[in-house]
Amino acid sequence: MNNYKLIIMTDDKQVVLERILQVTRYRGFLIDGITAKVNTGNNIATIELFVSSDRSISLLIDQINKLVDIKSVKVDNSASQLTKAKECSA
Amino acid sequence: MTDSKLLTGGGLLFKVLEQHGVNHVFGYPGGAIMPIYDALCESNVQHFLCRHEQGAAFSAVGYARASGKVGVCMATSGPGATNLITGLADAWADSIPIVAITGQVPTAAMGSDAFQEIDIFGLSLACTKHSFQVSHVDELEKVLHQAFEIALEGRQGPVLIDIPKDVQMASIAATFDATAHLKNKVKLPLADISKALDLLTHAKQPILYVGGGVGMANAIDEVRDFAEKTGMPSVSTLKGLGAIKPDDENYLGMLGMHGTKAANLAVHDCDLLIAVGARFDDRVTGKLDQFAPDAKVIHFDIDTAEINKRREADAPILGDLKENLPLLTLPLEIENWQNRVQQMKSDFAWRYDHPGENIFAPAVLKEVSDLMPKNTCITTDVGQHQMWSAQHISVDDPCNFLTSGSMGTMGFGLPAAIGAQISRPHDTVIAVSGDGSIMMNVQELATIKRYQIPVKIILIDNAKLGMVRQWQDLFFEGRLSETDLSDNPDFCMLAQSFDIKTKQISKKDEVTSAINEMLDHDGPYLLQVKIDAKDNVWPLVPPNSANNEMMESA
Repeated sequence: MNNYKLIIMTDDKQVVLERILQVTRYRGFLIDGITAKVNTGNNIATIELFVSSDRSISLLIDQINKLVDIKSVKVDNSASQLTKAKECSA
Repeated sequence: MTDSKLLTGGGLLFKVLEQHGVNHVFGYPGGAIMPIYDALCESNVQHFLCRHEQGAAFSAVGYARASGKVGVCMATSGPGATNLITGLADAWADSIPIVAITGQVPTAAMGSDAFQEIDIFGLSLACTKHSFQVSHVDELEKVLHQAFEIALEGRQGPVLIDIPKDVQMASIAATFDATAHLKNKVKLPLADISKALDLLTHAKQPILYVGGGVGMANAIDEVRDFAEKTGMPSVSTLKGLGAIKPDDENYLGMLGMHGTKAANLAVHDCDLLIAVGARFDDRVTGKLDQFAPDAKVIHFDIDTAEINKRREADAPILGDLKENLPLLTLPLEIENWQNRVQQMKSDFAWRYDHPGENIFAPAVLKEVSDLMPKNTCITTDVGQHQMWSAQHISVDDPCNFLTSGSMGTMGFGLPAAIGAQISRPHDTVIAVSGDGSIMMNVQELATIKRYQIPVKIILIDNAKLGMVRQWQDLFFEGRLSETDLSDNPDFCMLAQSFDIKTKQISKKDEVTSAINEMLDHDGPYLLQVKIDAKDNVWPLVPPNSANNEMMESA
C-alpha cells in the first residue's frame, strides 16, 4: 500500500468536496486524512488529501482533474516519500 | 444582441433550450416540476410524454446518439428523478451528451424529508459528468448554458440540473446574452507524434483498433482515410461499429468477447496496436496481460484519464483525433500482413447454414442487414440478440448502431429507438430486442401509439434470458437459475393492444417475406421471431481467458 498527499486547488463550488471523495473511493483509494480551507478573496479552495492504495496515483489524479470545478491536482512528493520512509522504519 | 424580458424560471428554461437548438424533450410531469410543465404550454419545444422516466432518459440517449445533438429529458422530484438514474448512468458510461432536468421540492422544504423529496443532486454525483442544484433563479440561465457546454465539451456526458419548485416559479428578467464559457484548464500537451511515427514506420503487423470515440470526435472521415492510405487492418469495438466501412477488405469486424475470430487472432498477433477513441474495456481485452501481448501501443484519446488506465501506451496522443490522426496517415508496406489477415477473414467468415427448419437468429439479422434501406438506424437491447446484431448487421456510421455498450442496460432498445426515430423522422429505425429485454421498458409501446412513431421492432424470442442461460449452461454446470421466460405474454396481442401491427414467425421459409412486410409497412410494426432456446452466441471468449482462446461451440 502506497501513501500519497494530494494538493487540490478548486473553485469553491457546490459539493466539490463530495465529488472528490466519491471519485477517490470509487477509483480504489482509501482516505487517510483531509484538510480544506477557502480563500474567500478569490473563492479558491485548497484541499490536502491523504490517500493510500496499491494503484497508481496517476489514475486518481487524472480522474479528479476531470471534475469540472478542479483547477489543479498535484502530488506532494516530499510528504508521500516521508510516509513511505516511516513505514520502512517501523 | 441582448434581449430582456420577464419570465418565470420555467419559462426561462425553455427559452434557453431553444437557444441551444433543442426542439424535442422527453419527460413525465409531477408535482415538483409543474411550473416547468406549465411553461411548456407557451414554448416551441415539443415534449414527448414517455410512460416511465427511464424511458424518457433512454429516448433522450437515443435521440442524442442518432442525431449528434444533446438529448434532453425531465422528471419530477423523488421517484421521478430516481427513475432517470439508470439512463444517466448509461449515458455516463457511454459518454452521451444529455441534459436532465429534475424538479425539486421548494427550497424552504429541502432537507425536511418532504413529500417526494430525494437528494438527486447527491445521487447524481456517481453517474453524471456534472450536476447542478439551482438555489436561486438568478443562477438559472448561466447554469443552463454551462450544462450544455459541459455535456458537449471534451469527452461528452450527461449533466443534471435540479431546480426547486420556487425557483421554477420565480420571476426573472432574462438577458439571453451569451453562453457562459467554461474556464479552460491548463494542461500539459501529451502528443508523442515523433515516437508514434517511429513505431508506425517500423511496424510489420499493425492493427487499427477503432472505438466509439471516433464517431463522437466526428473523425470518421479521418479514420477511414487513415485505414485506406495505410492499408492497415482494422477491428472495431461494439460502440465503434460503422466507423470503418463494413466492405473495407482489411476490416475484420468486432473484437472482444463475442468478436470475430479473425479480429481476435489478428489483434493477438499484431506488433503495433493503434487505439483510436477506444479504452481497452474488459469486454474487449479479455485477460488483459494477454491482450495483444507483443504489441507496442499508440493511443489516441480526448480523455487524459484513459491514457495508461488499463494498458500502458508507448506513444500517447491526447487531443482531437480529427487533427492528430492525419499526422500519422502515410502509406505502409505491409502486404504480407494484409494477405495474412485477409486469409483469416476468409477462413473464418460467418456461416449461415443451419440445420432444420427452425429460425437461426444470425441469418435473420444478416437478411435484415441486406434488406434494410440505406441509413437505417438499428437499436438493440442487451443479451444474445445484441451480440448477434453486432456480429451480423452491417452499418456505415456509428450513429446507425445504438446499443448500451458499457452499462449493458436491458430496456435500452425500445425507448432509444423512439428517440432515434423522432430525431430522424425520414430514416427507418429498427429496434432489435429480446423477450427478456423488451419487458424492461414495454410501457413505451404506449409512447409509440400516442405519437404513431413508425419504429420497427424485431423481437428475437427464445423464451429465455438467453445470455444468462448460455453462461449457466457453459460455466455453471448447466444449472439453470431464474432464466426461464416460458410464461411470457403473447407479444403480438400485447403490441396489437397499442395499435401496432404484428407478425409472428418460427420457420426459416417465413423470414424473407416477413422482413419485407415489416419494412414496407408505414407505421410501427412488431415482428416476433421465435428461435431455438438452446442457440448460443459464438465465438465466446470465456471469462479470464485470452482472446485467442475463444470457444466456438459448447
